[in-house]
Amino acid sequence: MPRVLIIDDDRDLLNVCSVGLQAFGHDVWTAGTGHDGLAEAAIRAPDVIVLDLGLPDMDGMEVCRRIRTWSEVPILVLSADGSEDRKVDALDDGADDYMTKPFGMRELNARLRVSLRHHAVVGEDQAELDVGLLHLDLAHCEAKLDGRVLDLTAKEFDFLAYLARHAGKVCTRRMILESVWGPQYGKEMHYLKVYAYRIRRKLGDEGGQFLQSDPSVGYRLMPPGEIKPVS
Amino acid sequence: MKRTLLGLAAALASMVVLTGAMLPLRGSLSVATTALILVVPVVIGVVIGGFAAGVLSVVAGFLVYDYFFIKPYLTLWVGAPQNWVALGVYAAVMLPVAKVVAGMNIARARELRQGKELRQLFELSDLLVEDKPLDVLLSVIVTSLADVFGARQVALFLPAGDRLELVRSAGEPLSAEQLRDVLPAPGAPTAHTREQTGLLVLALTAAGRPVGLLALSADAAARHEHEPLVLFANQIALAVERAQLREQALRTRVNEEMARLAKTLVAAVAHDLRAPLASIKASSSTLSDAELDINATARQSLARLIDVQADRLADLVQNLLDMSRIQAGVLRPRCTVTTLGELVSSVMGDPAPTWHGRDVRVDVPEDLPLIDADLVLMSRVLANLVDNAIRHSPADAPILIRAVATTQGAIELSVADRGPGVDTSRRDEIFGLFARRDDDAGAGLGLTIAKTFVGAHGQRIWVEDAPGGGARFCFTLPVAAPITEPITQESQLAASSHH
Repeated sequence: MPRVLIIDDDRDLLNVCSVGLQAFGHDVWTAGTGHDGLAEAAIRAPDVIVLDLGLPDMDGMEVCRRIRTWSEVPILVLSADGSEDRKVDALDDGADDYMTKPFGMRELNARLRVSLRHHAVVGEDQAELDVGLLHLDLAHCEAKLDGRVLDLTAKEFDFLAYLARHAGKVCTRRMILESVWGPQYGKEMHYLKVYAYRIRRKLGDEGGQFLQSDPSVGYRLMPPGEIKPVS
Repeated sequence: MKRTLLGLAAALASMVVLTGAMLPLRGSLSVATTALILVVPVVIGVVIGGFAAGVLSVVAGFLVYDYFFIKPYLTLWVGAPQNWVALGVYAAVMLPVAKVVAGMNIARARELRQGKELRQLFELSDLLVEDKPLDVLLSVIVTSLADVFGARQVALFLPAGDRLELVRSAGEPLSAEQLRDVLPAPGAPTAHTREQTGLLVLALTAAGRPVGLLALSADAAARHEHEPLVLFANQIALAVERAQLREQALRTRVNEEMARLAKTLVAAVAHDLRAPLASIKASSSTLSDAELDINATARQSLARLIDVQADRLADLVQNLLDMSRIQAGVLRPRCTVTTLGELVSSVMGDPAPTWHGRDVRVDVPEDLPLIDADLVLMSRVLANLVDNAIRHSPADAPILIRAVATTQGAIELSVADRGPGVDTSRRDEIFGLFARRDDDAGAGLGLTIAKTFVGAHGQRIWVEDAPGGGARFCFTLPVAAPITEPITQESQLAASSHH
């Protein structure tokens, strides 16, 4: 049974989430402050953490950063204000996904499952990656969709491989640019639009269901049927 | 003229005295000594009466000298030639002496006057550099100009849109004709200083930028040098411009602050609205999920939570509506005369869900004067204060609503709790928008609304330490004007049917 830690200052919301997520088959703990949350995260070693960014005692981002110093546990960030800057900052600081309040319980459950599954399979030294029907051979820079070889340029392949390595997780534009193009390209946002467009055409994914984009935040490779695009 | 006569009289009087004193001795006095002594009345005449008096004194002295002291005595006949010399020297010396002394006197008088003016101008410029609001500064300028220059009329014009407008005046008001002459037709060139219809008009410029116009009755201007006036005009222009810029900067800062506040407000409202929404959505989505197996107790608690949160949301929206209405100026208090008891019972009769099971005590004496207030607004103030008290005190601690008549003839209503109290440093800011304690999940609107509504009545609201610990929020209520005429049967009936 997956162990979920929810850190939020709204006791009512904590109660609802406990009831709901338990019904979905999770083991749930809650914490009402950032400090309690950090302590729970360290003692109980949850499989996934749901973290509200607006905590009374400390900034949720700070909680996220501190957890990241000693744990790779998936972190799903909740924000009440829906501001894009905060989302991007949270993702850059190591969060895996985010949701804006209010959210449905089924959606929360789906995202927790995605985080749990992909966190389990991803490793840096893997030579081959599978996301849905997409198969990537990292050693030979070869991509196949449903057995058919895709004609990708080197950068297109790198872009796709980066997203595949973090499948299910929202990658901010800066993260992608810096690791695919290099640190000095961190602000060339228009590259991504062009490449995402080209890759989608080659994948036959013009609607962006597989290579999902979240305007002014980033991109995510999502196995079909798991989660609908954010926007 | 008067001064001349006075000087002449003084000269003649002193001449009579000196002549009288010298007459018995004239045999032993030399011609030169007599002439020397007769210089004195002339000098007295000049000093007191000016040059004209001086000349007349010289003529008188000349005649007295000839008549009484030059032989043959008591005739105007001059005997020996050296006597002619003495007379000639007297006249020739005394006229320039009169001239010089008179000149010195005039210069001294002018210096004195200029010194006084300068001192007054200096005091004025001191006033000008003080930090004053623009309207105070304008009043200071016109009244002090009228005082210093003794002007019958002073008027100050500042640009309003594309034309000049009379903003302040002192002394007699300008006639319609004068106004027409002072204010040039749009686009017409303006001379730096002009004299028209008995007015001296000065253009006020600060470093070349036109600031306004100053009009002064010309009689006052004629009595004075123009230079200090022009100098002062420049100072006025600078001071006015500075005050205008300062007010403009202040307005800009206020606007910035408002914009910042609006931004925080939107963020805070978004947050405060989303919090209950989040609970509702999470509960309803759990309840409506047919595949989930949730037991009856959990189902019940989720349903109740939705109910409570929906109320919280409704309250918040109500508060926001009230807030925006009063800030937009739509909600003017509709004051009616009523009793404090009615106000309190309207609040206690409709308790919020959060008040359930709480001990709220009411101590309102029956004999308090009637109040004149908007029952709806003031009820909300009281309700918000009680709500705030309940939120910040332990569940078993009583809340006390108390009313007293103050010595100033007002009514003071207070709500005391047993909570942690309010730090002295935060007592103003807690009435600000979205101020709240760190451990408080409720929206920080209640106190702001209370303050706004109390303010709309022109009353005061504040927080102090409650006796025995906790906070006590107090506000004053306007007392209805006492009715002096005897109450008629009819109004008694109306009052009783009102209850």
